[in-house]
Amino acid sequence: MNSILFLILRRMRRPLIAIIISFAIAIVGLTLMPGQDNNGQPWQMSIFDALYVISYTATTIGFGEIPYAYSNAQRLWMTFSIYLTVIPWFYAIGKIISLAQDSGLRAALIIARFAHTVKLLNEPFYIVCGYGETSGLLVNALDNKGIHVVVIESQQDRLNELELNDSQFIIPNLCADAKLPDILSKAGVYHPLCNGVVTLTDDDQANLAIAVAVKLMNPSLPVLARAEKEETAANMTSFGTDHIINPYTLFGEQLAMKVHAIGTYILHEWLTDVPGDTLPPPVCPPIGKWVVCGYGRFGKSVIQNLRREHITATIIEADPRMTGCDDCITGSGTEAKTLLEAGIKDAVGIVAGTNDDINNLSIVMTAYELNPDLFVVIRKNKRHNEPLFKQFNADITMQPSDIIAHECLAHMISPLLAQFLTLARYQSNDWSNRLISQLVAVVGETVPETWAVTIDSKHAPAVSALLKNSTPVMLQHLMRDPADRDQTLNLVPLMLSHGNKQTLVPDISTVLTEGDRILFCGRPSAKSALPLLLNNQKALIYSIDGKEIYDSLIWRWLNNQKI
Amino acid sequence: MNLEKVVFGFFIVLAMTLNFGFFIGDIDNPNHHHVYELYAAIVVNLIATVLKFGDRTQIGAILLSTSLVANLQLIVGAVLWVSLSGSVDEPTIITYVVSLSGGAFLANIISVILLVAETINQRR
Repeated sequence: MNSILFLILRRMRRPLIAIIISFAIAIVGLTLMPGQDNNGQPWQMSIFDALYVISYTATTIGFGEIPYAYSNAQRLWMTFSIYLTVIPWFYAIGKIISLAQDSGLRAALIIARFAHTVKLLNEPFYIVCGYGETSGLLVNALDNKGIHVVVIESQQDRLNELELNDSQFIIPNLCADAKLPDILSKAGVYHPLCNGVVTLTDDDQANLAIAVAVKLMNPSLPVLARAEKEETAANMTSFGTDHIINPYTLFGEQLAMKVHAIGTYILHEWLTDVPGDTLPPPVCPPIGKWVVCGYGRFGKSVIQNLRREHITATIIEADPRMTGCDDCITGSGTEAKTLLEAGIKDAVGIVAGTNDDINNLSIVMTAYELNPDLFVVIRKNKRHNEPLFKQFNADITMQPSDIIAHECLAHMISPLLAQFLTLARYQSNDWSNRLISQLVAVVGETVPETWAVTIDSKHAPAVSALLKNSTPVMLQHLMRDPADRDQTLNLVPLMLSHGNKQTLVPDISTVLTEGDRILFCGRPSAKSALPLLLNNQKALIYSIDGKEIYDSLIWRWLNNQKI
Repeated sequence: MNLEKVVFGFFIVLAMTLNFGFFIGDIDNPNHHHVYELYAAIVVNLIATVLKFGDRTQIGAILLSTSLVANLQLIVGAVLWVSLSGSVDEPTIITYVVSLSGGAFLANIISVILLVAETINQRR
């Protein structure tokens, strides 16, 4: 802001000096011209009167000849003064207007305002670089979950979309190149409340540059980066990027998870969804022979994961040489001949995974005609094709942007959630199904809130104080309604983490210890009730043994006497 | 030699000398203090202020602030002169104005000292 003021002052130097000099000459001249007052006495204007007259003349207001009618000499000087002062006046005004329209100055103003808004943020926030389909979803979900976001994007029209969106918080955004360290620092990389940087542009190089810059500027800041190529991912790892997200690998893993453990998949999807949405109905892909169309990065990941689940898959690829596919049927898959050749008649499922939405739809339509019992997995590339895919209603529609957004959310909501989901993948499908039914019983069919609680004197003073008094506090005590202890809060503890030891779905009679971190999942009402138990010792003791502690000394003393 | 530096130095020194010229003399004697000299001092001080705009160095900032102080005192003096004339006797008015211009003169001296110090610091 300071530099802008100096810039304006510097540019205004010339017009201001022109005004001062022309006014000075005109005023002195006017005071020297001989005049007459109403009685015909000789009269000369004072400096103050002259300043007044010249001021209204130069600004073209023109009140006339004040206080007496002018003599010829005065009129002559006024004529000269008009031309002398009006021109510099307009010159200065023109300069001010052109300054206001100066694109450089405007850009400087926008950046300064952005930096100021970021500086004023007083709650933890994330920086999201790039605002495309994926980041749009992510920003929206974070905003819904009550997490602040700062957005940097290089295209103004995408930001316009962001501004039109209806968001809970003000989302500071800037149209600039996020690769520039200066822009990153203005976006809050050095801000003490910055929780991390997410870079999800569709350009690997840009993501790499941002990840590297952030890691060099503030090494302790977590970075989530999208990388589609192996070498980019390797490069990011060498700079200590915390989470690297490859949409193709993720999709393959998720498809395998669907085939192998649908419960785990739903759990994953559910805990990272936007709170309040309804649960999607589970679909379980059949085991048998599959046909995969397209052997790009996406197809490769699908095949790899299907094979790991011991599912045989036939590949159809239009350009086998370029994609490095040895054993496949050549063709696009949109015509019946190739599909028949791949054995569509006795296949159980088809994956349409090319990078062209219309081709994918065409493949699936043709395959359906040949074999109506097929289980259909279709890849959706562009969000604007959504209505077409909705019309078709495939068994599974996979959209890279959704997958990335979910994965990012898992890491951003709480590091504990990401840990939980990783551990959950190693559990059996039955375990997940049991957990889901437990969750449904407590929170209903809508997407629950997920949050983490740390047991220490800062985050849970009441619990910490009781633990120091060697009063055991059990997990179930945190699950009772502080208003009525017979009612339970609608929440489920998903994981208890102490040091390096994690317990999945801990028993409710677990005794808490200082330094425990607990991941809860439950209704928003439970999330808002829990802090009372954590912070207020009175409420916590009531929850533990049903006793009310009296507030006043006298009542407390009386109470002790009775016992 | 740089023309810009000549103009800059000229106006700063002139602002001080004019200010001094108005200030010198008996404090309550209107004959020792001419209104045109005050007028010239104000105009030259304004020009000096504008010339100092846009310098982001520390010394530039102090130079600008001394000029602003001088301007403030001189303009307040002029306003007092205009508004009090007719209601208060002339020696009293001129005392106010001259004492204010004395303050402005101090600010101008600081300004010139800074200018000299900066020039000496710039070793050839």
